Amino acid sequence: MAIIEVKDIKKRYGDKQAVDGVSFSVKKGEIFGILGPNGAGKTTTLEMMETLRPIDSGTAIINGIDVAKNPNDIKKIIGVQPQSPAFQDKTKLTEVIEMFAAAYGEKVDVMQFLRDVDLEEKANSYVEDLSGGQKQRLSITTALVHGPKVFFLDEPTTGLDPQARRHLWELIKKVRDKGISVIMTTHYMDEAEVLCDRIAIMDNGKIVAVDTPKNLIKQLLARGFKKHEHVEQANLEDVFIDLTGKGLREN
Amino acid sequence: MKKSMYTVLTFAKINTKRFFRDKLAIFFSIGFPLIFLFVFGNLYGNSSSLSFNVAIINNSDSAFSKTFTEALGKQKIFKISKDITTIKAAEDKMSRSELDAAIVLPESFGQISEGNSFPTGQAELVYTQNNQQSAQALSAVLDAQFKAINTQFVASPTPFTVTSKQLNTNSLSAFDYTFAGLLGFAIIGMGIFGPVNVFPELKKMGILRRLSTTPLKVWQYFLSTMIGQLAIGLLSLLAMFLVAIFAFHLKVVGNWFELTLFLMFGIIMILGIGLALGGWAKNERQVAPLSNIITFPMMFLSGTFFPRFMMPEWLQSVSGFLPLTPVIDGIRLIATEGKHFIDILPQIGMIGAWMIVIYFIAFKVFRWE
Repeated sequence: MAIIEVKDIKKRYGDKQAVDGVSFSVKKGEIFGILGPNGAGKTTTLEMMETLRPIDSGTAIINGIDVAKNPNDIKKIIGVQPQSPAFQDKTKLTEVIEMFAAAYGEKVDVMQFLRDVDLEEKANSYVEDLSGGQKQRLSITTALVHGPKVFFLDEPTTGLDPQARRHLWELIKKVRDKGISVIMTTHYMDEAEVLCDRIAIMDNGKIVAVDTPKNLIKQLLARGFKKHEHVEQANLEDVFIDLTGKGLREN
Repeated sequence: MKKSMYTVLTFAKINTKRFFRDKLAIFFSIGFPLIFLFVFGNLYGNSSSLSFNVAIINNSDSAFSKTFTEALGKQKIFKISKDITTIKAAEDKMSRSELDAAIVLPESFGQISEGNSFPTGQAELVYTQNNQQSAQALSAVLDAQFKAINTQFVASPTPFTVTSKQLNTNSLSAFDYTFAGLLGFAIIGMGIFGPVNVFPELKKMGILRRLSTTPLKVWQYFLSTMIGQLAIGLLSLLAMFLVAIFAFHLKVVGNWFELTLFLMFGIIMILGIGLALGGWAKNERQVAPLSNIITFPMMFLSGTFFPRFMMPEWLQSVSGFLPLTPVIDGIRLIATEGKHFIDILPQIGMIGAWMIVIYFIAFKVFRWE
């Protein structure tokens, strides 16, 4: 049932134990969020699963394949969205997708992949002419060219405006609905609450809680937690979206 | 295997397209070497005939001194600076090496002294310490001139004479040497400075890191870079050959097919140095000093800007082992001396050996981030 099984993985950089015995599992077709403050070890945990960093100890198994033992087989079934996607300039969007597909030795219907992320009209533009949100979307589609089983996103909405963030959430849900398991890191609690089926909260290299957002809130309330302020019926973001609309702002 | 090559060719194709969209890259890869070619071509292109910069200071008012001065002016071997009329001005110019020597004709030069039926005189050749060789050559030339004049006035027997005969074979001109060197310069510029500038930038942007999460292999990435560089490199070198042939009368006597193959061989080997440096470096700051340490000796000692035969013996033997030296020598041997692969096996062997060493290192030190 679980497509990802991580057991007690550790990573040390010099004096710092960046990841200190993390274990969790991710089911097929769910969005799994890793939350935590800066330096909690979120990105390092992700990078170990993505084959980018050697794992000091513990095991990470994706779709039955051991990441440490068969990194090349892992690469074929994962898609990776880096924190700040970048592309070589003077490259057309169609060429970017062609190249990423070629990296997997595959030839794909380029326009279909652009259509999936609403970038069809930009097909012949150069990547440097894209907005931040458009670059994120292009990056997402390049990570999916080979039909991966697991999709990693590292803080995908950092630096995006509210409209672009919402659009990206929809996109990530669509990816999940295709049966792809999504693992993402984020700083934003609202994002985790809306988007993630389950979340792990990390601090100082350790996971301090794993559950669905609803259950985690319930557990907190059960411990007798009460918010001090009066709960508003709407927040500032609701005002912002109401006034400026949900439509994407680009071009 | 077919899939692997599809990966390589797609990367090569798109990266080559990108190159032609980048005007700055085109300028540095193709335009820049052409500028050097024009500069050096004009410097060396017309220097095949020997000449001396001299000033004639004529202090005599005799008719003979006048015709003598005019006669010297008509000779190709003298480039006479007409604006210099005093020994003081000549000395000044000589001290700055703008002038090789001054020919001073004293007041009495060309006067017909009492009891003689013909004019006499002694010309004085003035030169500085640094110009002893030019002065020796000049006094020999003047001596010959006077001998010819003397026979017109006084008949004297000449038991021994010398005549000169020109061979029809062409020897290498300074430009032939320079041109092969400039091709070497272009190959270094593209092969080393290309990857050294691009790779750290790609690492900084995380582009190589992103690629490393795909099944793309280092050899595929290297090979695609190599194919792109070969296409662009051959184009750039072709432009240089065309300019050299049409503007500077370069005569390519060798086989073009062998020449192209040899150039490709050289480009690939030198590119390995760039791949090793750029592939190893985490950022530009790390790679700049190292790439300069490696390229500058090659630029100056491998015969890029001036021929190696001008160096002292020990330096020639040391510089013979630099990777660029067999490339430049090989180009010259094939292009201007018409040699074949079988004649330049030492050069080919040396390039091959360097290629193995360089690519071994390049694969060992490559990092995706």
